[in-house]
Amino acid sequence: MVQIVISSQAGEGPAEWLLVELQGEMISRHNTGLSGNLMGDLHYTKEGVPVLIVGHHILYGKLVNLDKPFAVLMKHSGLPQDDEGVMETSEEKPTSYTVSALIKKKLIFKTRPKPIITNVPKKV
Amino acid sequence: MRTLEEVRATLQIAKLKEEDLQPVTHCLTFGSNVTSGDYCLMELDDTLCKHIEAGKSLIIRGDKDEHAVLCSEDETYDLKMADTSNLLLFVPGCKTPDLLPDSPAHPQLVHAQIWGCSNSYWELRRQRPKLKKLKKLLSESPYSGPPYGTQQEVPQQKYTMEDLLGRIQASREEIEAHLHKIHACEIDGHWRMLDFDYELKLLGHVTQLVDSESWSFSRVPLTVCLEELVPLEPREMIEHCLNCYGRRFNTEDGEVMYALDEDKVCSATAQMLLQNAIKFNLAEFQEVWRQSVPEGMNTRLDQLRGLTLVDCSSKPETISLLRVEDLPEDTLERFSALFGIREKWTQDDIEPYIQDLCGEKQTVGALLTKHARSSMQNGRKVFNSRRPIAS
Repeated sequence: MVQIVISSQAGEGPAEWLLVELQGEMISRHNTGLSGNLMGDLHYTKEGVPVLIVGHHILYGKLVNLDKPFAVLMKHSGLPQDDEGVMETSEEKPTSYTVSALIKKKLIFKTRPKPIITNVPKKV
Repeated sequence: MRTLEEVRATLQIAKLKEEDLQPVTHCLTFGSNVTSGDYCLMELDDTLCKHIEAGKSLIIRGDKDEHAVLCSEDETYDLKMADTSNLLLFVPGCKTPDLLPDSPAHPQLVHAQIWGCSNSYWELRRQRPKLKKLKKLLSESPYSGPPYGTQQEVPQQKYTMEDLLGRIQASREEIEAHLHKIHACEIDGHWRMLDFDYELKLLGHVTQLVDSESWSFSRVPLTVCLEELVPLEPREMIEHCLNCYGRRFNTEDGEVMYALDEDKVCSATAQMLLQNAIKFNLAEFQEVWRQSVPEGMNTRLDQLRGLTLVDCSSKPETISLLRVEDLPEDTLERFSALFGIREKWTQDDIEPYIQDLCGEKQTVGALLTKHARSSMQNGRKVFNSRRPIAS
């Protein structure tokens, strides 16, 4: 039977991150993959409503406390032991996970995105 | 990196007014880790959340042909992958409005990196642990007392706690509780189940001693017990027997005593009488049973719930051994087995055989509604299978 450990650090506990939930998919415009790319600007109105500007869209959302919080787990794959450059066929370290963060709140953007019109034809 | 001017320009195009917004803007970019796939989200309940905050670890246990489960020290959860059509992005360092400083003088940009994104997560559901395998493993080599003279104990598959943790999909505490329940005992570092006849032999020694010393069942002194019985059996086994069939306590003078549990002793005696018979005439059984238990102990049929089944429809009425732990562990299979034994059950009769199937906050009634069909028979409500049972 496989036993995989999920460990957390003792002490103050893991950091708390925020979840942003969007409908649909996110595709990079230039097909270069997402890493390093800008996603959008997140604003809050004076009433605390989150507003996200992504590409040509404005999304209005709301802040929700999660009934069931999430843990963000980081995977550590088992790799063969590699002592001082000598490749040994010793037993693999088993896969394990660590808790990187806890998520207790989310910003959920469910309304249909409003397109930003940049070129409004002028009335003649 | 985006500048304040760029953000303002975007706001203008979007026709949003700066004065309607709070002055802090988060510029979100995708971090380099996003596409690595070396991470995932796991949904938690309150208990697990506190567990993690306290720095405790969790273990996933899974066999090739079993679902994976997640165990804390004392609970077991079923682990499943859930998909969502929404995209979930997780962002460290992104503040919610309540955490933003009260109106800083000028607009600020916070550059926050999206660490990861996902559209699936692990879903956990609290479940009763699968412990039947535990008894099965330990039954491979039951202990029937120390070997005689130079006789060597036959080498057999024996299990330490670590071995068990590696084979049973349950938490350590749940395993320990079950070991206690099945009267298992740690001998030379291995957990062993007692051969039932040996267990009865130990119990017999104790009850006979109680009788010959004219002790009360509720005040059995440990030291004298050990002194008198050590010539017959190892002291650990005598003490183990007392722990299984009694409750340990200290007197005012600090003496260690045991209060024997009448129900446990009587039900073990009943099991001894019934184990070699298919059925027993109920009236005859009750008489033999009454005479077989230690003098001064009283027998009652309700001591045998979950151990025996009484058939009131046969003439004469009969009783047979039916132990809940011998029935299948899976809910659907358990109901199939029970309805295969008897077509129609009253709630009172079936309850001891399905009690352990109830989920958290689920009643036996709710379980029956879900898995059985009810009807009236002779003025009483009875339950039968929802599905045809192969005969």
